[in-house]
Amino acid sequence: MNKNILSVKNLSLGYKKPILESVSFDCPQGAFVALLGPNGAGKTTLLRGLSNHLRPFKGTIELLGLPLSSYKALDLAKIVSVVMTDKASPPLLKVWEFVALGRYPHTGFLGRLNQLDLEKVTKTLLDVRALDLSERFVEELSDGERQKATLARALAQEPKLMLLDEPTAHLDLKHRMEVMGILRSLCRVKNITVVAAIHDVDAAAKVADLILTLKDGALTSCGPPHRVLTPPSVSKLYDFEQAGFSSRLGAIEIRGDGLAGQAFVLSRSDHGAEAFRLLSKRGYQISCGFFPSSDLDAHVARALGAKSYEIETDVNNSESILNQASKDLKEALFVVDAYSQTQEGLKGDGAQESQILSQKLLKVASEAGLKIIKLGPQGDIAPLIDYLDAESDFKLASAQN
Amino acid sequence: MSTELTIQTQLMVGRAASRRSLVFFLIGALTLTTAILNMTIGSVDLPFLSVIKELFLPVQGSDINFIVWKVRLPRTLAAVMGGAYLACSGLLLQVYFRNPIVGPFVLGISSGASLTVSLVMLTALGLKLTYVTPFLTTLAGIVGAYGVMVLVVAIGAKIKSGATLLITGLMFGYVCSSFTSILTALAEKEKIKGFVLWGMGSFSGFKWIEIYILLVLGGLLVLAVFLLSKPLNAFLLGEDYAASMGVSVRRFRIFILLAASSLAGLVTAMAGPVAFIGLAVPHMARLSLATSDNRVLVPGACLMGALVTSLCDLIARMWLSPVELPVSAITAFFGAPIVIGLLLKRGARL
Repeated sequence: MNKNILSVKNLSLGYKKPILESVSFDCPQGAFVALLGPNGAGKTTLLRGLSNHLRPFKGTIELLGLPLSSYKALDLAKIVSVVMTDKASPPLLKVWEFVALGRYPHTGFLGRLNQLDLEKVTKTLLDVRALDLSERFVEELSDGERQKATLARALAQEPKLMLLDEPTAHLDLKHRMEVMGILRSLCRVKNITVVAAIHDVDAAAKVADLILTLKDGALTSCGPPHRVLTPPSVSKLYDFEQAGFSSRLGAIEIRGDGLAGQAFVLSRSDHGAEAFRLLSKRGYQISCGFFPSSDLDAHVARALGAKSYEIETDVNNSESILNQASKDLKEALFVVDAYSQTQEGLKGDGAQESQILSQKLLKVASEAGLKIIKLGPQGDIAPLIDYLDAESDFKLASAQN
Repeated sequence: MSTELTIQTQLMVGRAASRRSLVFFLIGALTLTTAILNMTIGSVDLPFLSVIKELFLPVQGSDINFIVWKVRLPRTLAAVMGGAYLACSGLLLQVYFRNPIVGPFVLGISSGASLTVSLVMLTALGLKLTYVTPFLTTLAGIVGAYGVMVLVVAIGAKIKSGATLLITGLMFGYVCSSFTSILTALAEKEKIKGFVLWGMGSFSGFKWIEIYILLVLGGLLVLAVFLLSKPLNAFLLGEDYAASMGVSVRRFRIFILLAASSLAGLVTAMAGPVAFIGLAVPHMARLSLATSDNRVLVPGACLMGALVTSLCDLIARMWLSPVELPVSAITAFFGAPIVIGLLLKRGARL
């Protein structure tokens, strides 16, 4: 990554009136830039501005140090190529012919393809792993295959900058991963700058070098994923109410409505995570403990909005933790024990403390006559499923009576 | 590895090209045969050799001279060129609107041309200007076609849906037809007969001046379209993609629409509205050549249009001879089932 390929200053863009206002950012060459934001935030508008389809009201876009508007259309096409959401599938066009259309700015009069052009077409098809499609008609392709052909067409322009609007929308998981992988290797291997509007925050966090977040027509943040995609900022960006993002997990957890009541889960390491998700799915509010804040369980619990009791090894506060947890326990309908089955194998920070606290709490629970559901080895949630199913059957039966 | 793959691609290109050459040869040969039939058979059958002899060594004043030079040759040429231009116009419209079911007739362009042409033919505008009339009607046809085209495009740009576009075109077609009927009702009796004949669509009675206009103006337009088939190909993906590949969209859009309506208006002004050629022939060309590449399709559709139209004209003349049928009746008779068949086969989307 060296100099900036794109430099946007104080940009104001829109159709009749501005949709985006005072947007400024720089974009280094060879970077994978993800545009994130809710629908209608202006992602497509920004892309159309960068591809010179829309003239700015105000501000400047510089491409390789020159104003975008100073480029001739044909010269611009040798630097910038686009992939739009519009499904372009002309009838009776073979994939290789479709990809060859991308040679437009490089071919001469009448668009005759010479040896070099054919080589490039073949190579780009190979690059997107779609060479086997070359003799098929574009209209017969599946969504995923068509998207690969569309990428190949854009690539055949030999761009330095590719602008993509939701390149993975409507694709199955395999093609979604494949397209992301292809885009990423374009940046790494060919030093092509990729600017893509993406809907999957988790995918963006994993592939992008630079994240731009747009909301309500403004650029709300710009930076590397670990800076920009913090749990609170993601929640704010998308107005999450029933979901939470975890940057460490690189994933979004979906929260339940919490209307079914309270449950307490005892866990350690990664043994509680699946129980958390199950309970959240069934609508329980979760309290859980006792683990260090670096455990996987802690990350999942936080993303799910659970109340988690974390152990800080350098502070001796186990007394107060136990007191608070015991209070929560009184509210709980039942206790899930993801701990006892696996405690022998667990070592590391705070292992001893965690063990002491868990045993004390279990004792409190059994004294209070609470139902304790023991999970299987490695936090197997089958016993919990059985219990919850029985509960809901019982509830249904009593409702009918 | 890479060269081997490139060789494969080259083979692919080669295979496609050889298929295309074969199809071109076949359509060409058939067109020539039909043209020869059009020259030789009719109310008076002429031997092939004497027609050829007359063409190269004309003998002034003979019957055969009259039939060949005043009747059959103009008509044959008019059908060949008219068909080619209508097909080319339809192809342009199908590419521009990215819609398989548009054509000059469907979009109301032919009706627009009919309206302005009828203004010239039925009112005092064309009076006592016999020498200028062919030019005037041609101009009127092009103006009418372009006028409707611009209106349809303006409305189509507001509501981006294939169905809306077609309905708009049909509506403009109806409006233009109703104006034309009103003009007919008000016109003087002597003028009506010629106009009604024209209105049914026919390639008979072409004057040489009209043939020259067709040849020069239409020929230049088709040549320009062919030379611009590279940006036309970029348009296959839509305006936005075309712009991103370096086509100056604004200028080119005007060119496409102007060329399409000029070609359709030109033919309509002289031969009257001829249905289905503009719609069906581009499909026939696309399917037989198995491509959407306009560098192949522009000449392909023109040749196919020439063939189909000459064939229809031959049938129109010969089927119920000595009664001559309007050519539109034949084109619709064969064109409509072909279009429906295509739609069923391809499951075409609007």
